[in-house]
Amino acid sequence: MSEEYTKNFMNEGGEVLLFNIDETLYGIEIKYINEIISIEQITVVPKVPEYIKGVINLRGKVVPIISVRRRFGKEEIPYDERTCIIVLEFDDGNQVGIIVDRVREVTNVKPDEICETPDCKNVNANRYIKNIIESGGEIKQLLNCEKLISDL
Amino acid sequence: MAKFEAGMESMVDMYIFETTSLLEQLDQILMKTENASSFGEEEINEIFRIMHTIKGSSAMMGLENMSHLAHKIEDMFFIIREDNPVINSKNVLFDLVFTASDLLKAEIDLLQEEEYSATDFDGHMAKIEAYANALKSGSDANVADTSAPAAAAPAAKAAPAADTSEMIKVMSNGGESMTTVRIHFEDDCKMENLRALLVVNNIRNECAALNFEPADIEENADTSKYIIDNGFDVSFRPVVDAEVSDVLEIIANSANVKSYEVISEGGATVKEVPAYTLTTIKVTFEEDCKMENLRALLVVNNIREECDEIAFSPEDIEENAETSKDIIENGFTVHFRSSYGDEAIIDAVRKTPNVKNVEIIKTGADAPVAAKADVKLEKAAEKSAEAASETAAVAAKVAEAKKAAEPKAPVAATGGAKQSLISVNLNKLDQLVDMVGEIVITEAMVTSNPDLKGLRLDNFQKAARQLRKLNSELQEIVMSIRMVPLSGAFNKMTRIVRDMKVKLGKDVDLVFEGEETEVDKSVIDNLNDPLMHMVRNSMDHGIEETQEERIAKGKPGKGTITLSAYNSSSEVIIVVADDGSGIDPEKVLNKAEKNGLLTKARTEYTDKEVFNMIMLPGFSTNEQVTEFSGRGVGMDVVKKNIEKIGGSVSVDSKWGEGTQFIIKIPLSLSIVDGMEVSVGQSIFTIPINSIKESFKLKPHQLLKDTDGREMIMIRGECYPLIRLYDVYDLTPATTDLFEGIIILVESEGKWACILADELIGEQQVVVKPFSPMLNNFNVKQNGMAGCSILGDGSITIILDVGNIIADF
Repeated sequence: MSEEYTKNFMNEGGEVLLFNIDETLYGIEIKYINEIISIEQITVVPKVPEYIKGVINLRGKVVPIISVRRRFGKEEIPYDERTCIIVLEFDDGNQVGIIVDRVREVTNVKPDEICETPDCKNVNANRYIKNIIESGGEIKQLLNCEKLISDL
Repeated sequence: MAKFEAGMESMVDMYIFETTSLLEQLDQILMKTENASSFGEEEINEIFRIMHTIKGSSAMMGLENMSHLAHKIEDMFFIIREDNPVINSKNVLFDLVFTASDLLKAEIDLLQEEEYSATDFDGHMAKIEAYANALKSGSDANVADTSAPAAAAPAAKAAPAADTSEMIKVMSNGGESMTTVRIHFEDDCKMENLRALLVVNNIRNECAALNFEPADIEENADTSKYIIDNGFDVSFRPVVDAEVSDVLEIIANSANVKSYEVISEGGATVKEVPAYTLTTIKVTFEEDCKMENLRALLVVNNIREECDEIAFSPEDIEENAETSKDIIENGFTVHFRSSYGDEAIIDAVRKTPNVKNVEIIKTGADAPVAAKADVKLEKAAEKSAEAASETAAVAAKVAEAKKAAEPKAPVAATGGAKQSLISVNLNKLDQLVDMVGEIVITEAMVTSNPDLKGLRLDNFQKAARQLRKLNSELQEIVMSIRMVPLSGAFNKMTRIVRDMKVKLGKDVDLVFEGEETEVDKSVIDNLNDPLMHMVRNSMDHGIEETQEERIAKGKPGKGTITLSAYNSSSEVIIVVADDGSGIDPEKVLNKAEKNGLLTKARTEYTDKEVFNMIMLPGFSTNEQVTEFSGRGVGMDVVKKNIEKIGGSVSVDSKWGEGTQFIIKIPLSLSIVDGMEVSVGQSIFTIPINSIKESFKLKPHQLLKDTDGREMIMIRGECYPLIRLYDVYDLTPATTDLFEGIIILVESEGKWACILADELIGEQQVVVKPFSPMLNNFNVKQNGMAGCSILGDGSITIILDVGNIIADF
């Protein structure tokens, strides 16, 4: 992802989709969002890390599905009617779906509400978090989508 | 895509395609001539033609820099062709042309990018010019020799009123049985010298010997005047399988030729052919469509092929943008004659984009041009009557021949002149393939619809079978359209080997085997890079540094790199082999250890595993990074690219004897005949062509070796048993060997039995590649070739039997 874009987002803000894992709020920049679908039959792909749940048929396209809970090292919970798959689309046209507990809303984030993640000695700290957003008295963590799908 | 003027954009694709293929052609000619180390006349002409075309089309696209560079090369070859200088420094010449070709290619690549700015070729152009000048001056003696025939030109000019007998004398110098023709061009057609050149170029291929007068039409614009006054004389001897009448036909059909007279045929003969009566139409374009001159050019180009003769005014639409104004005010006038009939042509004109109206001004004989032509002809007839009466008999003969040729013309125009090849946008083909894929899925959706279960539908089944047959035929045809021989990709390697030979100072032969093997077009596109990396790797690391080193090992001094391709069931196998030093497993292991790439103890690695390590990202055994390889990126790019098209690559090597890269690519990327089997909740597809049989196991067939590994005896042969649920950590419906189904599979001579829960059925599936994210986890190595969507919308994973047998 272009650094330029990240910088722009830092300076100008933009729309962010908010979703919940447990009670924690996470955000994804709207430009990644292709669509949101309800959970459906996932075909298991063997021999891949546990957090990859498999693939689904999205109107003729085979899209891999990641469980965000698993990715963050949390226990899976049974899917309910609020469980969603957010289908992300990347610059290269690649699509990946992520399973989240529930989707909240799309909100506009102003530049002064965005702050950097703290520097940590531990390289793995904050590895999926790009920025922290504080607005409306709530704290949201902005996900780094590229890392989310590519970090092995 | 770079920005072009509106209206040009549609032509960019065509331009890029055309120029790329021309440059490839150029490379091939150069390779051929460099190997043969002599320039044949044919080759020079071919290079000349290529450069000329590139020059013209680049200029049309407004790409001045490319046009100029092509022009410089054209100039250089002009000197080579005309003056026939002794070329001492062949290497320099080849390097100059090769570099130019590379520059042009790079520029074409740039064109396809968003931000395009013209590259400056001045440096290289100056080099070419310098060399060309050196050629010219270095061979003064030769120039004098070859220009002797040309010396006839000024002599003839001195007597502009040269009568026919004199002319015959001059012309007969050229050869014993030359036919001499005097050509008159339409009045006011302008640039008569270039029109004349066009005629010469048109007939050049048909003529074994060819002289023309004035000789310097290409360089000297003043010759136009001479041609207007005296006509343009061409004397020629047709090639063995062509008749004089054929050549005359071509002359008559050349653009702007009003009439011609045969002055002498093999001696002396007079004959004239009247210009055909022309139809005149006036074309007007839509208001505000802009660049009317180019729209007009489009019109002309559209009908040019169908017309035996065509002229238009304003004339210089191609070069002169000012003509737009003229066209807006007065319309665009086209005179033509066509064996297709006026209606067809006018229709074609009407269908051209932006044409608003077509007005027929004159048809047939009363066209003003034709009338003028008649007057001229009368004069010519008088003149020729004086010339010789004995030639009448010959004239009659020619007329007869002409007549005989006449009825053939329309046939030739529809059959011969029409190309039987068309170029199609690849996107459209891709869409077609996708569509066929969808049809296959839909067919399965219909014929194995759950609503039909348990019904007796004889007629339906019959129709469904018919549909299936037609679908598979359709599929075959669509696939065959996309099949391209590998020779193109292979030939590109000649160039790379050539360049590296020079730079590395190694002597290497590149040998092709089975280059006629065909693969899908998209495979070829993805194959160029990997092949290049592998050939470079073989050149750089494979082949020994010096000949002495090779000879000391008992090998011929000259190295060999072999590119071979062959079909094996549903795969194409491409092997890049060198007879160089091979890979040292120890060295690879050391390096892998250093880079932290080892995942188990050193001793546990088999040679094959070690060799395949060189394709891991960030691996390069070469200590020194060279221009060609050594950055450790090459080989993993190879692997990635090949996997992208659903193939696999492996390395084999013998220390001291050479290395082989083996690439396996599925023949058709998209559709596979498969057998669906279920394992627990999952459905897998096994390609039919790797299935030998399927059966229920009987207790007496099962045996276990000392380690408890299960094997199955079938007709006296023993095969290993692979439990699919074990391999993929799935929960099967049954773990009982005797309840499940055993499928005997084979891949490249290796056999195994696979245990699955049950067979679901046979179906054609459309292969969808795995997402790049999944490819990161080596799903290919784990025996999964891709996935596919079944009729009911569920997803099946297509198994790669070869990998399953190899790894489990």
